[in-house]
Amino acid sequence: MDRTIAATVLLIVHGLVAVALLGAITHQAVALWWPVRAATGSFVARFRAVPGISYVWAIIVLYVVTFVMGAWIYTHYRYTSRLALEQLRFLKTVGLFEVKEHLATIGLIVLPAYWAFWRRPLSPDYAEARKQVTLFLAVLVWANFLIGHVVNNARGFGS
Amino acid sequence: MIAESKTSVKSKVPLVAITFTVAYAVIYAISTELNLPLVTYHPVIGEIDFLQKPARSGPAMYWYGWMLTSLIGAGALALLAAVAPEGWMQRALTFGALAAVGYLAVFSLALFVYDKATVELEFLKSRWLSLAVAVVLAAVVSYLVPAKWNERVWPGWVWAVPIGAMAVLGYYLTPYFTR
Repeated sequence: MDRTIAATVLLIVHGLVAVALLGAITHQAVALWWPVRAATGSFVARFRAVPGISYVWAIIVLYVVTFVMGAWIYTHYRYTSRLALEQLRFLKTVGLFEVKEHLATIGLIVLPAYWAFWRRPLSPDYAEARKQVTLFLAVLVWANFLIGHVVNNARGFGS
Repeated sequence: MIAESKTSVKSKVPLVAITFTVAYAVIYAISTELNLPLVTYHPVIGEIDFLQKPARSGPAMYWYGWMLTSLIGAGALALLAAVAPEGWMQRALTFGALAAVGYLAVFSLALFVYDKATVELEFLKSRWLSLAVAVVLAAVVSYLVPAKWNERVWPGWVWAVPIGAMAVLGYYLTPYFTR
């Protein structure tokens, strides 16, 4: 398969896995920070009522898969899109991608602590730490997701 | 005896994980800014060089190398955390964080004074001098911290230090947004 087509396919899959990760981490963070006090049938209440612990491994696996795919595509970006962006003086876009690269790394290295705080049986000693690290990871994932969209849209799909 | 040992290892897991995250964030920020990659990747020709090498046939990529450098450093410190007393780790983390913030404050102050002074005070531009002052200040403050604060490692280091590392990395990226 042509390298450009392969990179485009990988980019789309990377984006789809990132959406799944975004959903999972958002669900967990909301359930943790805004838990339901009384059962109601509304969509929002059910959204908040999920058991956060059941998302831990899904989030870890999705993050690592998204990261590895992103790191793979990055090589292609480095000698194709980035050169074009630099020639066109789209320096803010290039800078945003640099930010994304660092945010992704920081998110990856937070995962061991995230896993340690969420280990079964849940330790009450780390109840606050669980909330904090989950929120931190959620913010990183959201930031990277939005930056990824902005950067991807700079040249447009298939250009 | 074996059960006791297993419990001890399990209780060390969060401490090792916290140390790994914190150490990685710090080493990553340093290796990025000083460009200290373990390997250099040349994406156009698909070749890898050991340590930092200039670009050949297209751009060179150092990001993977910075991550590997940080992985080795953080891995070593995490292993150290597995055997060191928890109180020592908390003390070391407090000292490190104070030294980093102190360096930032002292160096900024030194540059401010240098700009405003009516005589030439060249020594104020020395990073090493600011670092030495920050280290001394951090040592004094760490020593004065109440003993009970040093009994357990604060889990909040896991987000506080990476945010600090991101601030440093972000600062070095500002030319992309101001040019």
